[in-house]
Amino acid sequence: MTLTLDNFEALLPLLITAATTVFVMLAIAIKRNHWWNATVTVAGLNIALLSTVYVAFKPYFFPESVSLIPQTITPLFVVDGYSLFFSALILISALGATTLTNAYIESFKRNREEIYLLITIATAGGIVLAYSHHMASLFIGLEMMSVALYGMVAYTYDRARSLEAAIKYMVLSATASAAMLFGIALIYAQIGSLAFAEIGAKVTQEPSLLVVVGGMLLVIGLFFKLSLAPFHLWTPDVYEGAPAPVGAFLATAAKVAVFAVLARFAILESKNVLASLPFVLTMIAVACISMLVGNLLALKQNNIKRMLGYSSIAHFGYLLLLVLVGGPKFGIEGFAVYLAIYVMTSLVAFGVVTLMSHADSKRDADLLNDYRGLFWRRPYLASIFTLALFSLAGIPLTAGFIGKFYVVTAAVGAGPVGWIGLIFVVLGSSIGIYFYLRTIISLFLAKKHMHRFDAEFNWGQRTGGIMVLGAAAFILIIGIVPNPLMFLAQITQLIWVAP
Amino acid sequence: MGTAIAFYFAAAIAVIASVRVITNTNPVHALLYLVVSLLAVAMIFFALGAPFAAALEMIVYAGAIMVLFVFVVMILNLGAVIDEQERKWLTPRAWIGPSFLSLALLGELLYTIKPNLETFIEITKVGPKEVGIALFGPYVLAVELASMLLLAAMVSAWHLGRDADKDDKENKHA
Repeated sequence: MTLTLDNFEALLPLLITAATTVFVMLAIAIKRNHWWNATVTVAGLNIALLSTVYVAFKPYFFPESVSLIPQTITPLFVVDGYSLFFSALILISALGATTLTNAYIESFKRNREEIYLLITIATAGGIVLAYSHHMASLFIGLEMMSVALYGMVAYTYDRARSLEAAIKYMVLSATASAAMLFGIALIYAQIGSLAFAEIGAKVTQEPSLLVVVGGMLLVIGLFFKLSLAPFHLWTPDVYEGAPAPVGAFLATAAKVAVFAVLARFAILESKNVLASLPFVLTMIAVACISMLVGNLLALKQNNIKRMLGYSSIAHFGYLLLLVLVGGPKFGIEGFAVYLAIYVMTSLVAFGVVTLMSHADSKRDADLLNDYRGLFWRRPYLASIFTLALFSLAGIPLTAGFIGKFYVVTAAVGAGPVGWIGLIFVVLGSSIGIYFYLRTIISLFLAKKHMHRFDAEFNWGQRTGGIMVLGAAAFILIIGIVPNPLMFLAQITQLIWVAP
Repeated sequence: MGTAIAFYFAAAIAVIASVRVITNTNPVHALLYLVVSLLAVAMIFFALGAPFAAALEMIVYAGAIMVLFVFVVMILNLGAVIDEQERKWLTPRAWIGPSFLSLALLGELLYTIKPNLETFIEITKVGPKEVGIALFGPYVLAVELASMLLLAAMVSAWHLGRDADKDDKENKHA
């Protein structure tokens, strides 16, 4: 198999991310210095992010050159606007998680630098997922991300919670991967191909029980990684046990990558898989259950990280409904916008938790009680946390509202099935407002005299703080003027591979 | 027909051995059955026309990894009672089941590789050459990515497996 220079150029984001891993490893070997190793990581990820722009818009920079996209590279990868959009989103969330890690892990007593290796490998796995249109690359990308995440969740192994979360995540995630492999094997036994497009083309010609069961097992594995109900049982424990910046990575980059590949498989490349009605109805049922379960279980949570975990279950329920009822054009545009907004909002929410916590304490600042009266101590930090919670709840003038707007618009236009989904969206959102507001209220309650956790005095001038402020500005600006983001989603859609 | 018989025979042994793995309370006995289960899976590969995959399954899983497991379990049981325990492991009850199943597999293997192989197993065989061409042809990037996957596993294992006390001492000196 020969690879041309064009192939390598199109693979640049993946290659640079992988190379960053090697460079960080060398940097650690040369000198184990936290600041310098973290800087190498951030520089590498930034270059990878710039390279996605270069690959997507090469003819605009060099008018004589031929566009690099769309192209397929070996049977495994496809490079188009879709994969580049989601690669960029994954890299942005990885950068956010890295800057948060930098502030957080500083006080860790053991080796601090290896977490950057794991972050870059997990990011590379995410990019593989965004690029893949073949079962083999899907599985390898998923495993690259999961294996690195086990290490990241267990990274602060002095805390029993962290180890417990890692073991839970590893056992359950391995079970899900096994189910997925079984499903892939069944599909292969019937279809004789692992490429998404061929599977989609052949499913309708020769439908059989084997493919239906295989497809279900595959989708169950992906739903597990997205923690959609009823495969959500691991989520709160892992979110609680993982160090806060790793929680940010889990909630953003990991989920974006899996959702991107799920949508490519189910909607874009093998559209016919979803044409069979029972399959759509099952997925819509999963979406509705997720909205309800996520919001109901978050209702009485006193732990912020667990609450964010449950809230992510609900959000991915909305997202799944949007993709299913929105159709290939509107649904995918809305889903790109929704995911971008969700990533930014989660980065802010987890960012505030991270800025309040340190790796050397027994636990993170994750109890509602730790945030009581935060406004009177750290007014700006409390304000942006409020903004993030409003955005998660979908209150107008924050970006979260735009995402909800897409969901409702898609559901209204989709006939009776959409209306049933809409009932659940409204029900879930209204339950959700209760616990988001409950958290916000505690920020403004009277100050406690004793508080165990507090952000650094100069948090706004550290890299993590600046990143959180930037993401908060994004939420506010996109909430008021959503057009730029919608426009971006639309123009990238123009260069997406036609389904 | 031959393939089907060979498959179901080996699959039955795999299922029996796997059930014994999870119902056994003694780790060493369970591991012996796990080795048999992996051997049976290797036999299934062989019956399905993938002798190379069968050989790899034998060498890598049943050979290297499982023997490592058995060693670790044996080494972990250090103490005064170890002699007594090892003697118990060598009672016929421990090895007669796994050896019987392995013998059955051996018998099956010998029967299938008799000179009438071509007629008994009628599936096209995938040898090392085809596997190599596939791995370093269309799947070459997957092979490269697998190395990243192993790197992630190694970094995590190294970080979690560090001797924490030794680290503390080094940090004090630094």
